[in-house]
Amino acid sequence: MNIQSKDSRTCLVTGLQELVAANANAMRDQIRAALPATCVCLELDLSTLTFLDSSGLGTLVSLHKTLRQRDGAVRLLQPAPNIRLVLELTRLNAIFEITS
Amino acid sequence: MKPNSASALRRENRIALRLEAACDFAAVRTATQQARGWLAELGVGETDLGAWELALVEAANNAVKYAPAAARQLPVTLEISCGATDIEARVTDHTAGFEWPKEVALPEVESESGRGLFLIKSLTDSVAYLSDAAQNTLILRRARSDGGAVGGFDPGQLQRRLAEAEAALADMTAELASSYESLVAMFRYSAELGAQTDVKDFSNRLVRDLMQIAEADFVVLRLLSPDGRRLETLLMLPENSDVPLAALVLTETSASVEIGAARSRQDIWFDAQEPLATEDPLGAAMPADYNGICHAFFVANHLVGTATLGRRATAKPFSAAQVNLLHTFIDFLAIQIVNVRLLDERTATRVTRRELQIAADIQHSLLPAKLPVCPPFALSAACQSALQIGGDFYDAIPADNGAVLLVIADVMGKGVPAALFAAVLRSTLRSMPQLFSQPGELLTAANRTLHSDLSRVDMFITAQVAYLNPQRGEIVSASAGHCPLLVWQPGAAGAVALGQSGFPLGIEPGVKYVPTVTPLPLGAVALLYTDGVSESRNPAGEMLAEKNLLEMFAETAARTSDTEAAKHFLLQRLADYRDHTPLTDDQTLIFIRHLI
Repeated sequence: MNIQSKDSRTCLVTGLQELVAANANAMRDQIRAALPATCVCLELDLSTLTFLDSSGLGTLVSLHKTLRQRDGAVRLLQPAPNIRLVLELTRLNAIFEITS
Repeated sequence: MKPNSASALRRENRIALRLEAACDFAAVRTATQQARGWLAELGVGETDLGAWELALVEAANNAVKYAPAAARQLPVTLEISCGATDIEARVTDHTAGFEWPKEVALPEVESESGRGLFLIKSLTDSVAYLSDAAQNTLILRRARSDGGAVGGFDPGQLQRRLAEAEAALADMTAELASSYESLVAMFRYSAELGAQTDVKDFSNRLVRDLMQIAEADFVVLRLLSPDGRRLETLLMLPENSDVPLAALVLTETSASVEIGAARSRQDIWFDAQEPLATEDPLGAAMPADYNGICHAFFVANHLVGTATLGRRATAKPFSAAQVNLLHTFIDFLAIQIVNVRLLDERTATRVTRRELQIAADIQHSLLPAKLPVCPPFALSAACQSALQIGGDFYDAIPADNGAVLLVIADVMGKGVPAALFAAVLRSTLRSMPQLFSQPGELLTAANRTLHSDLSRVDMFITAQVAYLNPQRGEIVSASAGHCPLLVWQPGAAGAVALGQSGFPLGIEPGVKYVPTVTPLPLGAVALLYTDGVSESRNPAGEMLAEKNLLEMFAETAARTSDTEAAKHFLLQRLADYRDHTPLTDDQTLIFIRHLI
């Protein structure tokens, strides 16, 4: 996983492979710690994510809450169909901006 | 990450997988990936695979997440059963358990947890959660969206996979059984070896066992001949193969696979595609449609022989395990064959050594324990044996009127036969005391008696008999191909060799030996000897020869005054000549001195 600032307001996370119980909390903490104070837009590149479980969903929700406190948002980029399906099934697609 | 254990089971019209994972998130994730992989191999469609992977992950995560500390040593078990139309999974946990809610709803959208059960419920058609004192089992079922065989699960394919797995298992079982059998056989052979040294019998039993274990129908075992030139047939099975296999000459250009294997040191296979050459002798002994393998075996890099296994073409070719058996059995046999040969050689050496000892005993028993007195002549004699016992002997027999008959002889050959003929000659001569005073007649009669026996075994004897007449002060001698009588007289310029020599005994039946009368005046010395004396060699390999012996003898006679001293003097000179190297032939001599 790699976290980089696109600009002072936007951070991009890439290289996610699985977001599951075994790593979800660690990912959450790692991303939070790397977020600059000015970042209000967190972009998660999900094009490389192959599997997402309910713990991973919890991490996404947690990050969403963090950004919302800054009046910002989490943007999910290019999730694979199976990942999009999980988001839709759990209706979390409603709180994230999802781009194809 | 701890390894997961897995096993696949077959049930009625279903195939099942059981996985055990350690109670941690990473291990159960690996187990669910294995489950997905297994379902994919069975042809389950992508939609079902995704649903099952997520449902199993959620179920297994719960089993880990809620397991109390005491239960974390217990595995989480996943059992998946795949049928043509549905898939069932059972996830066993050791948590405190819970009651599956009648309705499973999503949590608040901003809740960070609580979606697992919803996912499970959403992804499956039915859910049951059973609890007992020891464990809880979540049972999930879902109809296959791919419709089973259509584009996915194929019962035929499943049957084929099962058949392949069963065949592989049968092969492994057979290999294990054959390894066990060969090990048992090796132990048995090793135990039998102590009492069994017949190579053919031993090979026969070993090869029969090999045939049975390796499922061969035909075997030829050949061994290299002692001269290393030919491969000779030791055995061919089955025994009713009535075509005798001629020996193969290694140096000949040949189409024989056996010679090919021996030369190349590599196994050679033959079958319908690569059949034996029409001129291969093996082809005449084995049905044409056989396939097989020829293995040449070596010990310490030396060819010992070849073994060829054949099998009816209708059977499968020999498997790798069976070829291993061939190598193991035959290489073991090679070592035993070499051991038996070494044992035989050792035994033969022992026999030879014993034979030489017997010959030496006989030879020594023939020599007179004490020389007779024959005044005014004094006598001394010596018989020194070489390492290889020869056929030298001497005798001194008292005769009438104070005379003595001296006999010195050398039986051609070594060992017991030579010693036996020496004994026969001694008895023959002693049985004719009436001829002692006529040495020519004596040898003629002895030759007549011994000729047939000697010529039958291609042996002969050189002998000199000397009648020592004290009254006349002379020696009457006759020689059958023997070394001449040497005589030295005081004041003479040197010693001389005297007497006529005829054929050795055993060459011609009707030979008449001519006597020679040699006066032996006061102070004169005479010497009877065998060729081991005159043929002594110095370290440069030069033979002493009669000329030098005459000089050595003359010096001995001049410088000594009695026969014992003369004997020791000459033996010392002979030893000096050969630089005290061991004798290569017996040395026998008799000194006669007319005492002053």
